[in-house]
Amino acid sequence: MDPDAARTARESLDLAFHMSNVLDTGLDRHTLSVLIALCDLGLNPEALAAVVKELRTSRELQTTSSPPTSTAPSSLS
Amino acid sequence: MEEEDQQKVSDLIKELVLRLLSQNPTSDSHPIDPNSPDFRNSLRYAFRILSSRMTPSVAPDAAAIGESIKRRLATQGKSSEALTLADLCTKFASKTGPGSVNNKWAVLYLLKIIAEDRKAARNQLDSSALLPNLAFNDADSGHDSRVSRSLGSKEKGWRNGVLLVSKDPENRREIAFREFMNLVKEENEVCEEVLVRDVLYACQGIDGKYVKFDKNADGYVIPDLVKVPRATRIIVRKLCELGWLFRKVKGYISECMDRFPAEDVGTVGQAFCAALQDELSEYYKLLAVLEAQSMNPIPLVSEKVSSENYLSLRRLSVWFAEPMVKMRLMAVLVDKCRVLRGGAMAGAIHLHAQHGDPLVHEFMKRLLRRVCSPLFEMVRSWVLEGELEDIFAEFFVVGQPVKAESLWRDGYRLHAGMLPSFISQSLAQRILRTGKSINFLRVCCEDHGWADAATEAAAAAGTTTRRGSLGYGETEALESLIDGAAKRIDKHLLDVMYKRYKFKEHCLAIKRYLLLGQGDFVQYLMDIVGPELSEPANTISTFKLAGLLETAIRSSNAQYDDPDILDRLRVKMMPHGTGDRGWDVFSLEYDARVPLDTVFTESVMARYLKIFNFLWKLRRVEHALIGAWKTMKPNCITSHSFTKLQRAVKLQLLSSLRRCQVLWDDMNHFVTNLQYYIMFEVLEVSWSNFSSEMEVAKDLDDLLAAHEKYLHSIIEKSLLGERSQTLCKSLFVLFDLILRFRSHADRLYEGIYELQARTMESSLPSRDKRKSQRQLSDKVSEPGSWIGDGRKALTQRAGELFRNMGQDLDAIAKEYSSLLEGFLSQLPVQQHVDLKFLLFRLDFTEFYSRSSPSL
Repeated sequence: MDPDAARTARESLDLAFHMSNVLDTGLDRHTLSVLIALCDLGLNPEALAAVVKELRTSRELQTTSSPPTSTAPSSLS
Repeated sequence: MEEEDQQKVSDLIKELVLRLLSQNPTSDSHPIDPNSPDFRNSLRYAFRILSSRMTPSVAPDAAAIGESIKRRLATQGKSSEALTLADLCTKFASKTGPGSVNNKWAVLYLLKIIAEDRKAARNQLDSSALLPNLAFNDADSGHDSRVSRSLGSKEKGWRNGVLLVSKDPENRREIAFREFMNLVKEENEVCEEVLVRDVLYACQGIDGKYVKFDKNADGYVIPDLVKVPRATRIIVRKLCELGWLFRKVKGYISECMDRFPAEDVGTVGQAFCAALQDELSEYYKLLAVLEAQSMNPIPLVSEKVSSENYLSLRRLSVWFAEPMVKMRLMAVLVDKCRVLRGGAMAGAIHLHAQHGDPLVHEFMKRLLRRVCSPLFEMVRSWVLEGELEDIFAEFFVVGQPVKAESLWRDGYRLHAGMLPSFISQSLAQRILRTGKSINFLRVCCEDHGWADAATEAAAAAGTTTRRGSLGYGETEALESLIDGAAKRIDKHLLDVMYKRYKFKEHCLAIKRYLLLGQGDFVQYLMDIVGPELSEPANTISTFKLAGLLETAIRSSNAQYDDPDILDRLRVKMMPHGTGDRGWDVFSLEYDARVPLDTVFTESVMARYLKIFNFLWKLRRVEHALIGAWKTMKPNCITSHSFTKLQRAVKLQLLSSLRRCQVLWDDMNHFVTNLQYYIMFEVLEVSWSNFSSEMEVAKDLDDLLAAHEKYLHSIIEKSLLGERSQTLCKSLFVLFDLILRFRSHADRLYEGIYELQARTMESSLPSRDKRKSQRQLSDKVSEPGSWIGDGRKALTQRAGELFRNMGQDLDAIAKEYSSLLEGFLSQLPVQQHVDLKFLLFRLDFTEFYSRSSPSL
């Protein structure tokens, strides 16, 4: 990757992170970069959002009620 | 490559799950074992979600999404954040080239949803755990999303577990909506888009696929066979009213266009068609726009509801509201104007323009401006050029081919049916007169100065003489133009009449010769034509009389008059019967040539003739009385010559002389006063009024009216009118009596002179006696003449003569007094005030009113 492209990528990520903060999404920089990469690969953003939401919910459930025997997803399977 | 991408995706997902699970808000973060069941569960779950059939429900448009986020923030009251975000969005969008994010809209959308989810989760933290995760087991592989396609080959086992993640109320609404849509689809054989297109076609007069013109229903309807709900049927029918109206208007236009060369549609009709055509082309434009729009979907952001096409039937009904009003108006006008033409058509349209709605008013005004332009063009060319460019008989001025002398009176008239109501009657009269004046000047006066006057008028009115400078609604401009033109042209016309054609001089000439105002001329004429006129009418030569007239002119002061005027004075013999004398048929005539014959028409001249005859008779009577007086003058009869007569005869002579004198005096009193009245109270007063009215006359009509008044007043006052016919008759009987008196008096004096001569003769020498005898025998050719008889016979004859004469005179006196009494008693009954003065003059000493109690 040439330095120009790298710089553009970093700046784009900065901008996205900034926006994410403004919107108060609660995502950290690394997660965001992973998400952007997935979007770029053509995944449905709605689905990605759903993943973020679901995993967060499950983690909150984990932290509040240990041990995490019955998570929402597992109950569905 | 594909394989590599898939590998990359799964790696990234793994990483994401790891990040999400390890990311802990609390401090006791512990590394998560990638092999723990917890992690594996989560990962599997994540894959399943991502392989779901969820597809993005929005258009991939970064700007629109950015906008929607911004608006959301703004509505939440975070305007500064909204601004920051907008700024960031622009910057983000501007990052292009290698290394930048490709799916910008996806990133933005992702951020948006995450933010919304987080917010929702925070709002209802408690209930979030209880959210039901709905699963559709019958996930249809036909609805594969990109994700499922990309992952499908690997994750086959998870395909049944699909999670539909959405907020509950929205979800439910969507389901309800889908159900509704299905219901609608079931009920409707035809979907709305097709109907919209059909309606648009119908509004252009074309049958659509379903909406067709039905002759029985007289309108565009959906046939009964097509299954649509009642409501749709009704709205389609309502919308298609426009199509029906359109057909009507269009039909009228094409009908007119077809008819045009063969029949006379008229310029106004053509203008109307053209205006309608223009309105229709506006309408076509609207329809074209609507048609283009009907294909586009409604641009909606983040609506779950699948957006429909932009145009629905209801939207159409809104769009059609205004054209419908216009089209209805046009249809009404078309109906109204089908049988009308020209000015009548413009008038009918004008009646519709009186509308309170500004839209309608404006529309009608625009239409009228077009429709009336030919009319105003006609008015302009008529008023300024006198041209009647009206091949289709549409103008409210109608011309008729007439002779030059009646051009003014009958050449042009107003056609009331073609007069549009926005031109008032008085204005129309002015328009008519102005053009008529121009034509009169051109045809009768052969004058070309009017063109300058017209140009001046047009310049003064602010419009040039170019075409199309007037329009509907500019009534003031029109009025000022017409006023200006009328004023100038009328002035010019009167100038021409007065200066070039010497109207006033001719009027004066008529007064002097036809109304016997020139005393010396009349006296002389009477003297020289008198003997000629006593002959029977059929023996009189007109040429001789013309010669006598010439002589009379040359020997009176009339010879100094304008030769042009004298040239026009002629002798005219009226048609005569067998017993008529020259007196009855002789008259003078004045030849008023073009253009004066517009004023002195044949009927006017006939009235002048009537007055002339009356005055001529009066003059003749006066002349006769004067002639009688000449013979009666007392010094002609020297009473001493009768001394030789017997006393009785002498007394008889004196008494008859006296009686004759008295009667003459009586008659003379009457005739003189009547003459005075006619000359001074009637002719001069009327003339003076006429002169002053001539001064203030503004146009030829005024002049004609003034002249008419002049003539009328003369006729009325001199007892020649309809109402005073009996009076006039008795007056003529009186005149006849006076003339009879004159012949009697003449005979009396002849007798006296002869008697005188006889008595003188007796004292004269015989030679003279014989000579005078012969002379006398020439004069009196009666066989029983008393010439040559003896003195006794002479005395006897004289007695007889005086007795006869006395009886005749008595009879005449008696008849005269009874006639005069009748005449005087009739005088006060007359309407005219001036006749009272006549009575006053005649009866100044109250002689008549005392002698007869009836007065």
